[in-house]
Amino acid sequence: MLARSVTYTLVGLEPQRVEVEAHLRTGETPAFSIVGLADRACQEAKHRVRSGVQSALLEWPNRNITVNLAPAALRKEGSGFDLAIALTVLAASGQIPVERLALHVCYGELALDGRIRPVSGTIAVAEGAARAGAGAVLCAAVSAPEAALAGIDARPVRHLAEAVAYLRGETEIVPVEPTEGEAPHDDGRPDLREVRGQERGRRALEIAASGGHNLLLAGPPGTGKTMLARRLPSILPPLSRSDALEVTRIHSVAGLLPPGAGLVGVPPFRAPHHGASAAAVVGGGATPRPGEVSLAHRGVLLLDELPEFPRPVLEALRQPLEDGLVSVARVGGRAVFPARFRLVGTMNLCPCGGRGDPRLDCTCTAARVASYRDKVSRALIDRFDLVVAMPRPRAEELAAPDGEESAAVRRRVVAAAERLAGPSPARVPAASELLDRAVERLPLSGRGRARVARVSRTIAALAGSVDVLPEHVAEALSYRGPVEVGAT
Amino acid sequence: MTVRRITRSSTEYPPLLAQIPDPPPALWLRGDAAPGVLCGPTLALVGARACSSYGRGVARALARETAAAGAVVVSGLARGIDGEAHRGALESNGVTIAVLGCGIDRDYPSAHGELARKIIAAGGLVVSEYEPGVEPAPWRFPARNRIIAGLSRATVVVEARERSGALITADFALEDGREVMAVPGEITSGLSVGTNALLRLGATPVTCVADVLEALGLEQPIAASPAVAGDGATVLDALAAGEATVDELTRTTGLAPATVSAALTALELDGHVTSGEGAYRSTIAR
Repeated sequence: MLARSVTYTLVGLEPQRVEVEAHLRTGETPAFSIVGLADRACQEAKHRVRSGVQSALLEWPNRNITVNLAPAALRKEGSGFDLAIALTVLAASGQIPVERLALHVCYGELALDGRIRPVSGTIAVAEGAARAGAGAVLCAAVSAPEAALAGIDARPVRHLAEAVAYLRGETEIVPVEPTEGEAPHDDGRPDLREVRGQERGRRALEIAASGGHNLLLAGPPGTGKTMLARRLPSILPPLSRSDALEVTRIHSVAGLLPPGAGLVGVPPFRAPHHGASAAAVVGGGATPRPGEVSLAHRGVLLLDELPEFPRPVLEALRQPLEDGLVSVARVGGRAVFPARFRLVGTMNLCPCGGRGDPRLDCTCTAARVASYRDKVSRALIDRFDLVVAMPRPRAEELAAPDGEESAAVRRRVVAAAERLAGPSPARVPAASELLDRAVERLPLSGRGRARVARVSRTIAALAGSVDVLPEHVAEALSYRGPVEVGAT
Repeated sequence: MTVRRITRSSTEYPPLLAQIPDPPPALWLRGDAAPGVLCGPTLALVGARACSSYGRGVARALARETAAAGAVVVSGLARGIDGEAHRGALESNGVTIAVLGCGIDRDYPSAHGELARKIIAAGGLVVSEYEPGVEPAPWRFPARNRIIAGLSRATVVVEARERSGALITADFALEDGREVMAVPGEITSGLSVGTNALLRLGATPVTCVADVLEALGLEQPIAASPAVAGDGATVLDALAAGEATVDELTRTTGLAPATVSAALTALELDGHVTSGEGAYRSTIAR
């Protein structure tokens, strides 16, 4: 009395095939055990499965039951195996046909009353199933639209009884169509219209959005640094389908996908608090989970009050900023998470915050200011292509009419990003001359020069120019940042 | 690196310094330049360590323009105004002299160790009355200020609070019978209390570079910087009303923020404007 079914577990973002075997032995004391390196949540499946089967008015086999999760060497975590375990036990006891179960990949958690709950990472599991050529996925109804994105038959089941009836051929379950949840961009997200004045900040935001540059906003408190940064996602181009799939997968694995949601079409926005640990920001844990940098993949990571973040957290950002991925090595193996994001940082110019505000007197000693700046390493500051000082707006600016709305800015950004994807604009000789002169006269490092060159290309693309002209270089130079933050 | 010691009996001992009431018995010099540079048209540029961006910009521009006209800028290598004075002089490849309140082998403040090396590389000197190895101490700084004032034909105070070390330098300069000048500041700023008090007591106000050059008996070199035209001129005219941010300039000139930023960078490269903490200001009165 043996039955077998297939499901998947996740190592990082990668689905790994797991065979669920159930063996019923007669002539022994009735018992139920799960073997195969199952963690606590997985062991507790015993209770959920047993109650679920009885709630579905099915017969719980009064035998000695052993469930094996193979390969036995791979750690199994979480509650996603419940559905597969329940159905395999039922198949082993002859209540559903074994051959029909073998055609399906099952993934879901059981409630004590037999209902099926969604589990994080459904899209990644469905992708694994599709790659292995499985016929269909049985999963919770709310996560079926997500599973359907993998290009596989996703059959939603609400209750264990429904799954059993379907596998017996008594009812049919219609597979869900993939919802290309192209969520409207203007779905109540903060809009640039609400930002009055701050023309330079807005311009820098537009350049950052077009060229994928990292942006550092520095200035006294209350000048709208955070307000501006929070509106960057609203002017980013919508995600391409492959990017959207990637983002959906990461968010699904992290359990952040809202129930019933399909594809994540808008660039994500993450703003971890400065109390966050290095593992929470870059990813990690005993079984590697994606961190904030991966959740911000293809979107925006805002680090508000940059110098308040612990130094190890900031230094850990350098790998993802450089390589666009995070590689977490653990004894049990290695997980790689994509992490290509636009970094936006905000900071004051001194610890008391008075510096740069004409109406406040900075009370910081030189040593305090120096130690404040030392909190952010030069190496990290160097990763910001655009450094903008945000002055305090005057009263008349705040009384000004609303600014340009995000949708209008986004149209320019999309056009510029398309131009940048083509042949990259070249500098005319006069522009190169200006850049050389700037290196001579200004405190500009070699890396700083490369940064200015990159930004000037984006500015040229925004202007619709084929060549990078001197005025584009000149504007790019103005974002090399105030010396107060140590940018060069 | 050359380290020398010149005593009062030496012919190389700067005559101006010998005239003060309490001249140091000997001077330690670090740098390859001849001690003769100490006898040039020396100008002391001193001020607050925690200065404003206004003071920073003025100090740098004054040092750059006077050094270009041949002045030797003397200051104390401290943070703030002192550092800007040295940097400004270096920008026009001028000779500048740093007077320390500790041994000349000390990088004090440590953040200015590199600046000291640049001063020496540009033909300037690091000077102290203390022998190498002497640690910096608070009571040595007023004594150091007497040397700054004593070496200089004129002393310019850029920004000073009510009780600032820069005012001690000015007092020494007055005692020595040298010209004392002060840069006027806003009467609402704490950083201008000291300088405005000096003006009230009869110090010469500094309104432009020519004022300082006149006190030193130097001629202003024919302006080598290219004439400003186009958007640059519009922006510069708007800055005549005082310091402004890019956003304010965008509104007053009606130009696009991108244009304003580009024009400001060009002006900054030519030395017409300086920037700090998000605001720009003109270095020349128009």
